[in-house]
Amino acid sequence: MAISTASPGSILAAQFGAAGAEALQALIDTLIPPDDWPGGWEAGVGDYLARGFANQLSSFVPTYMACLASLSAEAQLAYSRPFAGFTPAERAELLERLEDSGSAVEWVIPPARFIRIATEHTAEGFYADPGNGGNKDSVSWKMIGFEVAG
Amino acid sequence: MNHYDVVIVGAGAGGGIAAGVLAAAGKSTLLLERGRSLSFEDVARDHLRSQRTSRYGVNAGPDLEGNPRVIVDQAGGAHIVEPADGGYSNNAACVGSGTRVYGGQAWRFMPQDFRMASIYGVPEGSSLADWPITHEDLAPFYEKVEWELGVSADASRMTHLPPYNRPYPMEPLPMTKRAMLFEAGAKGLNWHTTRVPLLINSTTRNGRPACINCQHCVGFACPVDAKSGTQNTTIPQAIASGKCTLVTQAMTERIIVDSSGRATGVAYFDREGVRHEVSADVIVASGGAIETARLLLNSTSAQEPLGLGNAHEQVGLNLQGHYYAGAVGLFEEDVWDGIGPGACMATCEFNHDNDGIVGGGLLADDFIATPFSVWNGMIPPGVRRWGVEAKQWMRDNHRRVADIKGPVHEIPTSVCRVSIDPTVRDKYGIPVVRLSGFAHEETVKVARFMDARARDWLIASGAKEVWGGGHGRGLSGGQHQAGTCRMGDDPLTSVVDANCRVHGHDNVYIADGSVHVTNGGFNPVLTIMALAWRTADGIAKAW
Repeated sequence: MAISTASPGSILAAQFGAAGAEALQALIDTLIPPDDWPGGWEAGVGDYLARGFANQLSSFVPTYMACLASLSAEAQLAYSRPFAGFTPAERAELLERLEDSGSAVEWVIPPARFIRIATEHTAEGFYADPGNGGNKDSVSWKMIGFEVAG
Repeated sequence: MNHYDVVIVGAGAGGGIAAGVLAAAGKSTLLLERGRSLSFEDVARDHLRSQRTSRYGVNAGPDLEGNPRVIVDQAGGAHIVEPADGGYSNNAACVGSGTRVYGGQAWRFMPQDFRMASIYGVPEGSSLADWPITHEDLAPFYEKVEWELGVSADASRMTHLPPYNRPYPMEPLPMTKRAMLFEAGAKGLNWHTTRVPLLINSTTRNGRPACINCQHCVGFACPVDAKSGTQNTTIPQAIASGKCTLVTQAMTERIIVDSSGRATGVAYFDREGVRHEVSADVIVASGGAIETARLLLNSTSAQEPLGLGNAHEQVGLNLQGHYYAGAVGLFEEDVWDGIGPGACMATCEFNHDNDGIVGGGLLADDFIATPFSVWNGMIPPGVRRWGVEAKQWMRDNHRRVADIKGPVHEIPTSVCRVSIDPTVRDKYGIPVVRLSGFAHEETVKVARFMDARARDWLIASGAKEVWGGGHGRGLSGGQHQAGTCRMGDDPLTSVVDANCRVHGHDNVYIADGSVHVTNGGFNPVLTIMALAWRTADGIAKAW
């Protein structure tokens, strides 16, 4: 398994461009937002994805590439701002609309399906064992009370 | 050419037991295993690549590359799949096979499980049949396995079974908070309960320690080796006797026959891909219900152009496993105490005698799930799976949810089958299997009935909300795969006889779930092991 030592932000920027990587980071933090506990990005979902896109998630890279662009276009159309510039409430509202009512721009797959895929990958990075690259310091396990002994 | 008294193909539950029995009987035995011997570190604790959650890989074999299967969907479309795909019906490939990473539920089948057709009749479109042997035939061998490998349970609470000749060698593992709630709930419903019997040491035994109650049991290897599979019991004993040779990464291509059609040995590829032929007086196939059927079907000859033992085209039919019925419940307070393995309290109240239902199944609380599995499988419908709501739900409820589930006694049908794909081959060039068919409607009916009983139990135990259950018609196989080389007295409708010897062959036997006529409403491993012991005993006496 290829493991890079570069930061996840720079790896993802190299993969999706600066704007795409920012949109992805914002998406991760919308799917698992920070509150009393770290959000997806701080917990290492970006690290999980950066590693995953070079390995088990490689076949999803074109989907993310296209869908992050569509998400940005939806954002521009809604508020004339990039998705990453939305408030958390605005981001959640846009995703809910895309999931429940459909899209205003072209998507290669239905946006609800992309949201489902990204949600699953984000949950993998957040809740799976730290050995997969995410869930830094087992933070999600501490949050939910999954205590490992032995 | 090397010659052995017996060659055994597959070092899992059945083959591992057979090797132990035959080596102890003084037979020179060659045990061929396509996988590797796996250490605790090899198996690891990857929550996305385990025998339980094979999202991106498996942790007990086979390798993802070079071992394809073909599955036919319900619309008739054929797809090539890898071992981590659910449709592949993977059942591990390593020394010990599934027993290296199982939860070790050690249930005896009930007397009624061997007589399904007599009790219930044969539903239209099904191939439901009685076994040619009875519970009484198998009981002494259940006992041998329970004592040889070591089962922790309470025989006095197995009121659904005939009395035991000898109790279990070890007390049950500790009770959990959940199990106490479920025990009380069942009492309120006037249901009998019993402790889940486990092939896990509850005390130091045979040089291995007691369970440390960790949270990574089913799907993973035991950190202290308290869990008993064939890889740490009968196989090392067989090797230590000097009578058994284990060859790993050895993929058997076919059973070889002489000019009269009689089996004389096997051909296998070693880890370098070099083909070997060995001769043996007796051949035992124990690759599991899918790979054993494949081996027989690929062992074509002039006498048996459709495959060894397949003159009447019975090999590969009746593939079955277990639909899992169940439900998830949410409690007012924490029910999670972290005491593993988790499967602790069960009821066999609904294995039989259910109005309008053919058979039934056991219900039990579940092994501790990984956090990702809780997120993936236990968030109720209606809760959005992302955003603050989902995160808050996990935080509030991870320790307050519990599921009850159990294997449904499937109603077999010949529509569900293993055949050989005409074009796809594995990395050795051996034709691979094609899995096709869909479950009998009676199976789904039983599963829905059992879903409802799981809900009843959760509510009676204090759950404030319950959800889950529901079933399609998908092909069943997986880790509980069975049925493809059915046992029977009539060669026209079965593959092996009551001694698990292939009809028409005096020296070819099967020791795995393939021979199960039906698969019980129970985890099948103890039955696979007991039957393998009985079969190996027969071989030792006859040869």
